[in-house]
Amino acid sequence: MPTVAGKRRNVRFPFAHLKTAPLTTAQKSQKQTQNQKQNQEKRPDIRSTSTQGRKMASQAAHPGTPALFTQPPPIRDPLVTETTDLQDATLSKCLPFLKGISDLQKGPFNPCGVPALQRDDHVEYLYDSLEDYPAGFVAMDSSRPWMIYWGLAGLTLLGEDVSRVHQRVIASIRPMQNPTGGFGGGHGQISHLASSYAAVLSLAMVGGADAFALVDRQTMWQWLGRLKQADGGFRVCEGGEEDVRGAYCASVIISLLNLPLGLPPTSEARLAGFDNLTDGLGEYLSRCQSFEGGISGSPGVEAHGAYAFCALACLSILGPPEKTIAKHMNLPLLLSWLSARQYAPEGGFSGRTNKLVDGCYSHWVGGCWPLLQSALDGKPQSASAPSMTVGSLFSREGLDRYILACCQHPQGGLRDKPGKHADAYHTCYVLTGLSATQHHHYRTDSSPCANKNFSSAFSWQSKPTGAEENVFEKSDRLTAFHPIYVIPHQAAEKMRLWYEAEPFAT
Amino acid sequence: MAEGQGKYASDPEWKSITPIQLDDGSDSGAMPLACIAYPAEYLEATSYLRAVMAANEMSERALRLTEDVISLNPAHYTVWIYRAKILFALEKDLLEELEWLNGVSLKYLKNYQIWHHRQVLMASRAHFPTIPTKELDFLMEMFAQDSKNYHVWTYRHWLIRHFQLWDLPRELEDVESLIKADVRNNSAWNHRYMLRFGPREDAPAAGMVNAGSAMSADEKGILTVVDEDLVDGELEFAKAQILRAPENRSAWWYARGVLRAGGRGVGEWEGFAGKFVDMDSGEVRSSHAVEWLADVYALEKGEKAVEMFTLLKEKYDPIRKNYWDYRIQQVVV
Repeated sequence: MPTVAGKRRNVRFPFAHLKTAPLTTAQKSQKQTQNQKQNQEKRPDIRSTSTQGRKMASQAAHPGTPALFTQPPPIRDPLVTETTDLQDATLSKCLPFLKGISDLQKGPFNPCGVPALQRDDHVEYLYDSLEDYPAGFVAMDSSRPWMIYWGLAGLTLLGEDVSRVHQRVIASIRPMQNPTGGFGGGHGQISHLASSYAAVLSLAMVGGADAFALVDRQTMWQWLGRLKQADGGFRVCEGGEEDVRGAYCASVIISLLNLPLGLPPTSEARLAGFDNLTDGLGEYLSRCQSFEGGISGSPGVEAHGAYAFCALACLSILGPPEKTIAKHMNLPLLLSWLSARQYAPEGGFSGRTNKLVDGCYSHWVGGCWPLLQSALDGKPQSASAPSMTVGSLFSREGLDRYILACCQHPQGGLRDKPGKHADAYHTCYVLTGLSATQHHHYRTDSSPCANKNFSSAFSWQSKPTGAEENVFEKSDRLTAFHPIYVIPHQAAEKMRLWYEAEPFAT
Repeated sequence: MAEGQGKYASDPEWKSITPIQLDDGSDSGAMPLACIAYPAEYLEATSYLRAVMAANEMSERALRLTEDVISLNPAHYTVWIYRAKILFALEKDLLEELEWLNGVSLKYLKNYQIWHHRQVLMASRAHFPTIPTKELDFLMEMFAQDSKNYHVWTYRHWLIRHFQLWDLPRELEDVESLIKADVRNNSAWNHRYMLRFGPREDAPAAGMVNAGSAMSADEKGILTVVDEDLVDGELEFAKAQILRAPENRSAWWYARGVLRAGGRGVGEWEGFAGKFVDMDSGEVRSSHAVEWLADVYALEKGEKAVEMFTLLKEKYDPIRKNYWDYRIQQVVV
């Protein structure tokens, strides 16, 4: 039975996950009428939309902040639609934070006008996020493996030693494993690739033979064989949907657990002519690239930042990015779309064309860049950092400013944007994005793996960016994460090497 | 609520079932992480759910139980999959299920399990040889709440392929009304592209044409047989929408997709894009037009391309400075 709440520290952010109540149909149609009315009107100047906006606009920005991050974009269409309403409102909310003049911001501000990372607050927030939740959080019941992953990943980025919760992680995850293979969102819930991904990565982060031995690889392999589809992709669970998340999570699991590549003899995907778990997967991902250049959740749908990361990371597991990404993606289209995800003055990333910036895309979109840059750099020639490289194709400064100025909640934790609550999901992925901006990720020509399957996925290294490139302080530095596995490099390597040494009876 | 006093424990209909209590791992002695203080009714309902699922029970009472669990936590993906199985096993009226689902969908707008469930039902040719009449009306009701809802658009795209609705007039009408209401609705533009240029009956999979084939990734989206009138019509549509709001990436990139589908280059629109960029007066009304011209000039690796990229880098889209520099390098090399 679950531990009675109150025995332990309760989380401090009840109901943070609850979105603002949706508009009723009546409210909505009223809003639409207003919109239509506004269509005839001129789009208001962003600086005069509210009293607060006027006050903030007249107040000078912190002297270290370039005008790029304090002024609305140079071209603004007069036509007002729901998209511009939301975009203008977001800008009004972000500007005081970008300028470093909001009352809701904590300092100190560095000479670049960027506030410090509130490290202690975020550490405390994340430790709390691993403790008990009140009844209002029942909607998270199927996301507990995620809650554990987000908490551990965030803490690891902040330099905390998560091995102290080693036993608690094992205790939590053990009942989530199903005898037919894989992990569900909780005890008695059917196995799901997202839950299994979060469970495996959590075990990798705390490490140790007892954590690794918890995973039943034989049944996991059988289960993956049942999820493999005739078009090359994976369903997320038996009877569930097929999408790019499934492809990525499956590839992470197959490569980290060093599972056999061959499909189990009973896998129906064999009827489609496939022999291996990875057959047809690159082709499936190729069909997920949309005409805009970005990548969608399933073929034919709109390009989306989170799915783009899943697809590119999956391709970077299947083989060296300069081969797999270059083969399956139209690179010029992809580059243009990905680059267009970064907005000014916000500095952060949006997930789709004409949508708003959101801190979580610091990882989903930001995490695509090292993979794409590696694809453009070509085959690694040495064991050290390459001398010739395309370098950063996005603005690290912009993203750092958005993260540190707009995404830090004054009470700890990180968030989508100003005005939103913090939650463990955003805290994890905003920090992951910040860490990515603080490092150069590159591949070497060597890998610690004895088994050469997916060995290029284990050839990644990183080095910190130079002080002259940064708008953040030394004390804001985070741990480097593996750009594919989204855990420390060593944690991924140790797990893989442990399973390489374990016999697998097929 | 003490043991045995819950709604299920006190109901004779459930007497035959021994609920399976939640194992949260605390028996190991270590305190499990991220535990939720579940409401008593949820704890009880899910303990019965585990029991009936373990027995793979296909019954009316199990169906009612799934509805109860969904009402307590619609994000419980397992219960949806179990419910779909029961509905088919008991040969339930799926139109009735859809009606119920409509209410749940409007109540939980961000939930995605609902949309996969709907797809599982709708995929049954035995029940739905053709699309139910009210289906598209309901989707428009959903779009009135959130016109960019990713899960609803994913479902709608699946519907098109499943029922082969590419040329259904209603599809284009709905897309046009959404683009009319918000010309920046990129989801609607994407849907339009798939209606016009997506692979059809003869193609086994969705996506851009040629994607995932033996052809190079650079060939994606280029049609082998082109209806030039269709291409011209779509280009005119895109032009009209660009004139409404020139700084709108959706419409410009749709036009690029259209030209690509037709195997025609961006050069064709040099004149149109030029209308938004007056280099003499310095008046620029669209950064996308500047990018368009840069791409046209880049084909000849001209200095004019560098001039356009520099304009983007320094004035109209400077957050993407590194990308524009990369493009300049490519032109110069």
